Amino acid sequence: MKASWQLFTGLSVFYVLMAIVYWQIDGEPVGITGMILAACLAGMVGFYVWFTQKRIGQTLPEDNTSAEIADGAGELGFYSPHSWWPLPVALSACAMGLGLVIGWWLTLIALTSLVISVIGMVTEYEKPLPVGSASNH
Amino acid sequence: MTTYAERPTITMPGVAPASKGKNFVKWITSTDHKTIGYLYLMTSFAWFMVGGLLALVLRVELSRPGLQFVSTEQYNQVFTMHGTIMLLMFATPLFVGFANVIMPLQIGAADVAFPRLNMLSYWLYFFGSLMAVAGFLSPGGAASFGWTAYAPLANSTYSPGIGGDLWVIGLAISGLGTILGGVNFITTIFTMRAPGMTMFRMSIFSWNVLLTSILVLLAFPPLAAALLGLESDRLYGSHLFDPANGGAMLWQHLFWFFGHPEVYILALPFFGIATEILPVFSRKPIFGYKGLIAATIAISALSVAVWAHHMFVSGQVLLPFFSFMTFLIGVPTGVKFFNWIGTMWRGHVTFETPMLWVMGFLVTFLFGGLTGIILASPPLDFAVSATYFVVAHFHYVLFGTVVFAMFAGFYFWWPKFTGKMLNERLGKIHFWTLFFGFHLTFLVQHWLGIKGFPRRYADYLATDGFTYMNMVSTVGSFLLALSMIPFFVNIWITRKAPMVESDDPWGYGSSLEWATSCPPPRHNFLSMPRIRSERPAFDLHHPHIKTEGH
Repeated sequence: MKASWQLFTGLSVFYVLMAIVYWQIDGEPVGITGMILAACLAGMVGFYVWFTQKRIGQTLPEDNTSAEIADGAGELGFYSPHSWWPLPVALSACAMGLGLVIGWWLTLIALTSLVISVIGMVTEYEKPLPVGSASNH
Repeated sequence: MTTYAERPTITMPGVAPASKGKNFVKWITSTDHKTIGYLYLMTSFAWFMVGGLLALVLRVELSRPGLQFVSTEQYNQVFTMHGTIMLLMFATPLFVGFANVIMPLQIGAADVAFPRLNMLSYWLYFFGSLMAVAGFLSPGGAASFGWTAYAPLANSTYSPGIGGDLWVIGLAISGLGTILGGVNFITTIFTMRAPGMTMFRMSIFSWNVLLTSILVLLAFPPLAAALLGLESDRLYGSHLFDPANGGAMLWQHLFWFFGHPEVYILALPFFGIATEILPVFSRKPIFGYKGLIAATIAISALSVAVWAHHMFVSGQVLLPFFSFMTFLIGVPTGVKFFNWIGTMWRGHVTFETPMLWVMGFLVTFLFGGLTGIILASPPLDFAVSATYFVVAHFHYVLFGTVVFAMFAGFYFWWPKFTGKMLNERLGKIHFWTLFFGFHLTFLVQHWLGIKGFPRRYADYLATDGFTYMNMVSTVGSFLLALSMIPFFVNIWITRKAPMVESDDPWGYGSSLEWATSCPPPRHNFLSMPRIRSERPAFDLHHPHIKTEGH
């Protein structure tokens, strides 16, 4: 993870430097703001990855140059086999945007369906499984 | 963190004969990165066809003086939507498509980090794009203010009608999908690499996907902000982009703060495709692996500091700063060319179709890069800005990179996608017709621009002396369009070709996608080789050749 946070932190430092140079030679405010915000974004990701590395406190198999594939054995994590939910979420988001153009009534309807579909997508795998059908997903 | 033991979910119990309806549901509810990637590739290719047809409308109109075919307003709509479709509905999602299919395979991941978010990105792109183009069906027609939507032209006074509103909202939604895709790719690369796949063993394509995704995160939020601001001006009468308080420049700064990194978002992944293909057909490892990564990082870093070279003629930007930074960004690009040529140097080069497309990319993109150096110099830019010279320049850059590398990638990875090789002879016919068609269309436009033909004009006079070159360009554009026929014929006749037997049909594949079957199983790998260099598949298939490990 070292290369990962170094990459983001390096970009962040570079953007700060560019912002300072641009400010010093009388650059306009939009560019300075843009570069500072870019630096903040890269810095935030860099800090988070650095912080996570410190918290894990050991070399991960993917960062170990002499790792065996078996070193990664263990819990793979959960993968959704298929899901209907992204479709209604995206449709509601589009309808909400369309509502801005053709009328507020559509935005309000779409907002409702967006809230419902986002809840559906987020809690899709939170439901307690019915007894005896653990392989449902 | 990851295991690749055989999973019971891979085998479908009692495989029923797939009905069309079931297949359809399987595709639209998929969370498999490969299926979503294919959806992206097919949808963006469909938009490529639509954008291409719009381009033919433009070329037909321009072939002779006078307005024969469309009105000036329709012409404006057509070139606006041509630009929008090609950049934001074809090229950007094409990157997402290739990254989706190939990147997890190359880093040895079972899927992307957020499979459902991946599908959400696709649907946002799909519906957002349809919404932006739906303007053609609205009473006033589609957006007609150019894909750059400069203020105050794009406001409700100069461009009334819901076509423009649909364009703005559609792009904002589609851009949201792109941002989510970028988040997904960065997380996947940071957390889901296979054991031993250190950052500096990752293939160049995956590196470029990582840096492109970072650029997406930097560039698309300013675009979203600018678009929502524009929409607020159009609908609610706010004065964000009112020229009276500097809004015209504010829009240009925000737009190009997105727009220039966007050029690299379109270029870097396709550089990555070329870099994957060159070593395979040169039978050599990549020359200067770390140098290439450093060049890509340098391009990503510099690309946020060059935006205002699109605004030289506004007279309100720091010419020396942006000119210098733009020249500077040419250096890492030159390093890449050096490395590509170094990879082929003294290699055992063969010219299968993918390699031919990469050659086409190198030639075309080099030409576009050189005219870019010309345009980076303010005195030269003033002379040709907003003429066909600029049109020729960015078509060489973007068509050279995106389309040539796209077909290179299609021919190269087709066996990995489908298990079938495409026909070599038709591939070569496809390449040469497209290559000549492209250069016939766009080379002459450099001279057209220098003679002073302005871009975005629907008409010119017979006495202007532009007729001959415009006719040449139009003929070229039709040859370019016809070159798609061999490609479709190729797909059609090879659909029932025998499946490739080996994991690595090209014989010298380097990166990890060539160490799994063609096409790969649901979670990509049934077994994975030990990773000791940036060429794990090559090490697996050619164990007698020792690769220097990094």
